[in-house]
Parts: sequence; C-alpha cells; structure tokens
Amino acid sequence: MIKVRIPTPLRPLTKNQGEVSVAAASIEDLVNNLEAAYPGIKARLCDDKGELRRFVNIYVNEEDIRFLKGKDTALKTGDEVSIVPAIAGGSPWPA
Amino acid sequence: MSHAVTELVIPRPILDDMIAHARELAPHECCGLLAGTDRIVHRLYRIKNIVALEGAHYLSSFDAAKVAHLERLSPAERAEIAFVMDMQDFSTAKKDMRQRGLDLLVVYHSHPHDPARPSGTDIKIATDYEEIWPKINLAVPSYLLISLMNGEPEIQNYWIKSGQVSPAPFIIR
Ligand SMILES: [Zn+2]
Repeated sequence: MIKVRIPTPLRPLTKNQGEVSVAAASIEDLVNNLEAAYPGIKARLCDDKGELRRFVNIYVNEEDIRFLKGKDTALKTGDEVSIVPAIAGGSPWPA
Repeated sequence: MSHAVTELVIPRPILDDMIAHARELAPHECCGLLAGTDRIVHRLYRIKNIVALEGAHYLSSFDAAKVAHLERLSPAERAEIAFVMDMQDFSTAKKDMRQRGLDLLVVYHSHPHDPARPSGTDIKIATDYEEIWPKINLAVPSYLLISLMNGEPEIQNYWIKSGQVSPAPFIIR
C-alpha cells in the first residue's frame, strides 16, 4: 500500500481524510485507484489526456513526478506520495 | 544579536527586479520566489500566474466565496485579484535551488489595486500551506507583498503562522 497525503482543498472528496492508503504500482495506477475510491479526484489532478495539471504537483518521496517518469513513475511499498496544491493568494475583495 | 540573524537581506538589484515584475504584469498580480542562504537573498524566480487556467481556482485553497467570486469574472479579470502559481515552474525553481544550495526564503506577489497587506485569502492559504512545506523539504517562507496602488511601490514582508500575521522586517542592501 502507498500512503498518499491529501491537501485541504481535496479533502471534501476523501471524507476529510488528510492521508489515505491505496494499492498502486505506478502514479497512473494510483490516480485511477484514488478515483475508484473517491470519485471526482482524478479530474482535479489530471487533464483530459491524463497529464498532471499545472496547478498541482505530485511528489514521490519529495521528488516531483515531472522530474521522474511522470504518470509512469513506479511506486513501491513504503513510498510516500504527496499531492500538493498550488501556492495561491489574492487581493482583498474588490470594493 | 537575534535581530541581525533573523532580518532578511534583499539586494537592491533583486528588489528592483521584483518591482519590475509587478509593474510588467499590472493590472494582473505577479508571483514568485526569493531564495538564498543565511537570510540573504541571492536569487529571484518569477513564477507564472495561472489563475486564469481552467479549473485552477478549484485546486487552490480558495474558500467557496472567493471561488464564487472568481467564477463571475473573465479569466483576465481573475488575474487582477488572485494568483495561482504554475507548479511546474515552482518545481523547476525548487530543483534549481537544491542544485545551488539555496533555501526558499520568500513567496512574493503583487496587489495591483490594494495595500501591501495579506488578504484573508492570502492568510488562509498560507495557513493551509504550513503543513505542506516540511513535507516537500522546505522551511516555511515569509510572504512579501508589493502594492502598486499608489505611485511608488510599497513593499512589506510578513510571517503568516496559524492564521496570525506579523511583520518580517527586511533590509535592502
Ligand atoms: Zn494577496
């Protein structure tokens, strides 16, 4: 099983769990298995072609999967996966 | 002594580059990172603001009210009141910092029409992010705001911890 850290904006989809465990041999696997357990999560992470959206990162043991093998990155038991939302902010409400 | 250790040092050329970034993107918000060692900034990384990208505001920690407000705006208008960092740019910057032995010190963004103070959204998202920094092997940065609402840019730097905002003084050298 792989431990996956879920950020605050996605927790409404994971019954408010900040960490979930899924069986997966690759990132693609992991995203599909997350989707099976928590419908709607995949669309938040990936575009129509299955590529990681630019406003989210997936880190495997602190390395961005973009610098590994993307969705083909292999996973093994004990790996820690973190889904990291974009750093964001804004101005105060306009008057 | 502790004062000298904790005060951030921003070299004038880097400060000027950051102001130029804010002015180039105005009326849209700019965003970026400052990295260095021993509280001295050595490098600036401009990060693309992708708030206008489809779906970007959903995965950021904007609250429901801010999302509802953003939805009423055109993509270009969204960038006037919010930023979402391009996380591919962010990872590239993070990797560069690691290769150069630099620490992330500051997350900066501009307020084209508002004061150099963190908004409610800024505070909420920074607070949500507190638990993320250690997971990605980075120290909690300070947050620097550049206001362009008056003629001269106003720049302020803050710590945002557990929803509390406190000044993070810096000196320009
Ligand atoms: Zn702001």
